[in-house]
Amino acid sequence: MEVGMEVTHHSDDRATEIAPTTAMENDNLSLEQGEIIIEEISRNHKLLHRHKFNLNEISIGRNYHNDIILTDPHICPKHLSLTYSQGLWRLNDNNSVNGTLLQHNQEKRQDAHQQVINDGDVITLGKSQLRVLFSDHQISDTIALSPFESLIDFIRHPIAVFMSLALFMLIAGNISYLNQQVETNISQLFVSAFSMSLLFSLWPAGVALVSHLTKNEPRVLAQFGISFVFFILMWFSDLLEEIVVFNSASNSVLGLFIALIPIFLAFGLLWLNSYIGFHMSAKRRIVVAISITALLFGGTYLLQYSKKREFNPHPNYNATIMAPVFLIAPSNSVDDFIKQSNNLFEQASKAALEED
Amino acid sequence: MKTFFTLVFVLFSSTAFAAEQAEEIFAQLTPSLYQIKLIDKASGEKSSIGSGFQISSDGIIATNYHVISSYARHPEKYRIEYLDHQGKMAEVELVSVDVINDLALVKRQVEEGMPYFQLSDQKPIKGEKLFALGNPHDLGMIVVPGTYNGLKKESFNERIHFTGSINSGMSGGPVVNKSEKVVGINVATSGNQIGFLVPHDKLVKLFNDYNKKAPIDIKQQMAEQLLANQNKLMQALLNNNWQNKELAGKAMIPIIEVPFIRCWGDSNADKTDALILAAIANCSLDENTYLSSHFFTGSVEIEFRFMQAKNLSDNKFYHLYQQQIARAGAGNRAGKNDVSEYQCHHDLVTPSSTANTGKAINNKSIFCTRAYKDFPGLFDVLYLGASVDKNQQALVSHFTLAGVSQENAMAFTGRFMEAVSWK
Repeated sequence: MEVGMEVTHHSDDRATEIAPTTAMENDNLSLEQGEIIIEEISRNHKLLHRHKFNLNEISIGRNYHNDIILTDPHICPKHLSLTYSQGLWRLNDNNSVNGTLLQHNQEKRQDAHQQVINDGDVITLGKSQLRVLFSDHQISDTIALSPFESLIDFIRHPIAVFMSLALFMLIAGNISYLNQQVETNISQLFVSAFSMSLLFSLWPAGVALVSHLTKNEPRVLAQFGISFVFFILMWFSDLLEEIVVFNSASNSVLGLFIALIPIFLAFGLLWLNSYIGFHMSAKRRIVVAISITALLFGGTYLLQYSKKREFNPHPNYNATIMAPVFLIAPSNSVDDFIKQSNNLFEQASKAALEED
Repeated sequence: MKTFFTLVFVLFSSTAFAAEQAEEIFAQLTPSLYQIKLIDKASGEKSSIGSGFQISSDGIIATNYHVISSYARHPEKYRIEYLDHQGKMAEVELVSVDVINDLALVKRQVEEGMPYFQLSDQKPIKGEKLFALGNPHDLGMIVVPGTYNGLKKESFNERIHFTGSINSGMSGGPVVNKSEKVVGINVATSGNQIGFLVPHDKLVKLFNDYNKKAPIDIKQQMAEQLLANQNKLMQALLNNNWQNKELAGKAMIPIIEVPFIRCWGDSNADKTDALILAAIANCSLDENTYLSSHFFTGSVEIEFRFMQAKNLSDNKFYHLYQQQIARAGAGNRAGKNDVSEYQCHHDLVTPSSTANTGKAINNKSIFCTRAYKDFPGLFDVLYLGASVDKNQQALVSHFTLAGVSQENAMAFTGRFMEAVSWK
């Protein structure tokens, strides 16, 4: 009976509430402030549900009479209510077992009873969290669609993905053909190319899985397409580096320059992987891509450095040679070679003194 | 039956005679024979042993350089001691070395004039009976009869070929003739009764030089000897004829016409499943200079490798070819304390001697060098030339020189590079 009374009272209240506002048509403020948005969020502040009300009292709890019904067992049946008066929303805790906490702007949580609620405040009740927003809440600017979008659309087309996979396998097959010391047949090459592409598929598959697990859209085809295009590009950059090293003398700076290409490619791949798979700000995306690239190349360098012996009794020279078709640079004369090699003696003598 | 007896008798009498002679020699000379020990100061235990013999009344003892090499390289870590026939021990001082001929002179304290070995003033004749003395494997002083077989053929630094057992520990012991005069010093063995001796005239020279002017610093003395020896060796290599020779009918390679550089050949023509046909010629100096157990120098290695693809694409041929040249190493052993790390330079080079002719070759040339730490001005060098101008053929030209001066190394490299071409 009491409940029924409540409801009638409630509707009465609403009627009286509406009456003055309709009377004061010009006073938009009071009308708009009656609006409230309550977001159910997860512990790491991910949005689960969003409710929008235009009331002056909102009840929250576990029983089915509430405006927002929460299933968390640590919440009381009639846990709390929010009331609107004089342009402000207040929080009333109905003597709940576990209490209610309010957090404003990343400040420390405090007891929420009878507190005024501001835009962006987070209410903690039981093990659940609610975020309160008002309709004038500041939102970030619209992000324009990146030009990559059309490129990604092209690359994720099944035919394009198939083509890049096929090209990848062709290259992998060719590499294993070049490395075989004895004669080989096509099926052996195919098996090694296939296993190579399976191995490399782990990367896009992994990224898609992670983005699926983090409630993002996996976009498997796009991840595959992009990853394999970059794997192919990396092989081409290897080839380019080989050609440059083959054609240049050891004191050339071009070789150093070329060595940076794989780093840029890795960065590009990671950036696009995160662009496709995860929603994050542009700045954060760049930071993530740079960090993983640095970890990858820095880690490889560290690994090599730690493996390096204290003293290497063998010469460490670059033996890159390629078939005559790749030979572009003109040859030097013996005299020039001798002249340049002469500098090594000074370097070696200096090194002998330093290492003492 | 009669002949058999005669034979046995003849044999018996000759061995009896030799044994008697050896015994006599041993008895007379033994007071001047020593075991030379290198004692590690920290542990107080011996780290190497050899033999030695006194050559002057005032206590100069001759031995091998390699017996006392650890001391010569690290005098702070070791001391040298002798052990005489009466079991007496005392410390000796290192006074001079000949690192090229593996000789060293140490000096013991003497109170009065002592008996010593006379150095012969003439060379033995081929077939002459000699007696090697020494203390093999720390078993005690022994005498080994053997035969003089002339100087080792085709050697750069002379060694006597002695037919008789020389064992480790006998190093540094004297080899005397019937009149008890020293004609050589035990130095090395090839097993099976083949032994090598340093001719006595090297010791005579070292001893005379020492008497004239004792060296101030052993390291300095070694550096001078190494520098002089590499000059002698490199001059011999550079001033002799370099004969142009065909390799596999496709390439021209230089063969240096000096007796002490010996060449060997090999090919894989019998391996039908090989993807690349390879013909290899390598030439090297058979001897090197011992500086310490982990540091050798004075070696020369030259290698040529011709390769022909069999049913291969150009790319695959070059891929396999690159694996062949990727791991060239030093020709001599040397460690962290002896040398710097290698410094390398590479470039594409066409020798002008054959440029613009049908023989012209375009090489990827790699040159590496490392410097000696204790002997400034000496370097190990390595050169590797890989032809990159033929689709299905390749020629690798490679050499290593150990312990040479920059000037000699570059003169050799220049001449070598110009001498390699296609046919």
